[in-house]
Amino acid sequence: MDRFALLWADIVKLWTKYGASYLNGMGNTLVLALVGTVLGCLIGLICGVLNTIPYSRKDNVVKRFFLKLIRVVIRVYVEVFRGTPMVLQAVFFYYGLPYFTNNAVKFTSIWLVSIVVVSINTGAYMAESVRGGIISIDKGQTEGATAIGMTHWQSMVHVILPQAVRNIIPQIGNNFIINVKDTSVMFIIGFPEFFSAHRAAVGASYLYFPSATVEMVGYLTMTLISSFLLRWVERKMDGSSNYELVQEDQLTLTAGTYTHPDRGTPFDETSKEFEKGKGEN
Amino acid sequence: MGDSLLQVRHLSKSFGSHEVLKDIDFTVDTGEVICIIGSSGSGKSTLLRCINFLEQPTKGEILYHGKNAETEWKRTLYHSKVGMVFQSFNLFSNHNVMENCVLGQMQVLKIKRAEAEKRAIQYLEKVGMAAYRKARPAQLSGGQKQRVAIARALCMEPEILLFDEPTSALDPEMVGEVLSVMQDLASGGMTMLIVTHEMSFARDVASRVLFMDGGVILEDSKPSDLFTAPKMPRTQEFLKRVLSRQL
Repeated sequence: MDRFALLWADIVKLWTKYGASYLNGMGNTLVLALVGTVLGCLIGLICGVLNTIPYSRKDNVVKRFFLKLIRVVIRVYVEVFRGTPMVLQAVFFYYGLPYFTNNAVKFTSIWLVSIVVVSINTGAYMAESVRGGIISIDKGQTEGATAIGMTHWQSMVHVILPQAVRNIIPQIGNNFIINVKDTSVMFIIGFPEFFSAHRAAVGASYLYFPSATVEMVGYLTMTLISSFLLRWVERKMDGSSNYELVQEDQLTLTAGTYTHPDRGTPFDETSKEFEKGKGEN
Repeated sequence: MGDSLLQVRHLSKSFGSHEVLKDIDFTVDTGEVICIIGSSGSGKSTLLRCINFLEQPTKGEILYHGKNAETEWKRTLYHSKVGMVFQSFNLFSNHNVMENCVLGQMQVLKIKRAEAEKRAIQYLEKVGMAAYRKARPAQLSGGQKQRVAIARALCMEPEILLFDEPTSALDPEMVGEVLSVMQDLASGGMTMLIVTHEMSFARDVASRVLFMDGGVILEDSKPSDLFTAPKMPRTQEFLKRVLSRQL
């Protein structure tokens, strides 16, 4: 038990000295994860929609060429950014650009480069999620829209995407939580997020494990709160499950319909035998 | 040929090497109610889907008001004139009943919301679903969904309605309510082309019945003739099997 007491004492020591820096790091982590996820979703949405524009053999060559080109470009983007670590992507963007352009082009804001890297990385994952979301919607929905004369874009905007987006909300939440944790690699280019606060604190105090404990608890707190909030948003979006049924459907099993089961039998209210039968009882 | 609304000429459709429709030829006049019957795989549904281009015909042409539907009609306008009701309803599941009925009017016909809602109520009342305008498709029974789907098609004020087995996905006790709506439409003068397995409905309501088999129209006659004195042996065999079960 005294080990735990020691750990607690160390944590208190760390928190009194570096508490502000930890909290600042948490704030930056959350902002970066949030902005990166939102922008990444937008990128993913655009890619997913462009990826699913239908074309047939009857379309002209130029249109078919462009649609195929778009698919190839998106495919390359997804494979490259999904297939390489974000920590290296950050290094490539931050150090690669000035290296190749002889310092002519470089990111001056560490915030900007971090947001760009996280967004592009998230976008690569979301592009596939959105594509999956779109193709998972029943083909009948598109056919229903086509049959009343709606164009591809109209049915996308009003019918398919609202349903697809609802279906991929768990994926978006997933990506946000992954981003909360994975933005920790941004310390590599000096972004002041939560994990870099740990590195700074450890560098000065040598309390490596106690600081790591602070980090663990801090990350778990952030992700748990995010999970609860995301669930709440999902429930809100689905709306109330209660629905008051209106019981004034004139056609469902009322007399006079095409094949009412009692039609022409003594149980038919319109028949004379019905009245007679009532008198007997 | 002045009053013929829709002409199907030499229509063929193949899926790969499988030829589903073989050189189909027929004409629909304004006000006709045509039922298409036949066994599964005979090409009935494919024929309807080719007529409103949900499937691209392999060969042949479709004339609408004497003009080629593929080249001389704007596709979205053609779709709004030639309505379709599906076996699986295909209501927009993210919209409520009212939105299902106004979306097409507002997007395709560019009608203002107030007017679109007025028209929607009018047709929802016709199918007995006006009280359900706030309900979502998931909260409706199959028969109710299909009636809303019919109202949605009617909202576009089409000149012809195509029904692709409108009652095949319904519980037996819900078939009646849908057929009753369709019967009302027929007596109101709507031109209809109906793929169905409801033989008694075809016999009572249709002005013409087409019997399809193996991708061709084998018989095309009045229901009174076709059901009492079918000419082709294949038709006789089909009717014997189906009617013995249904009636």
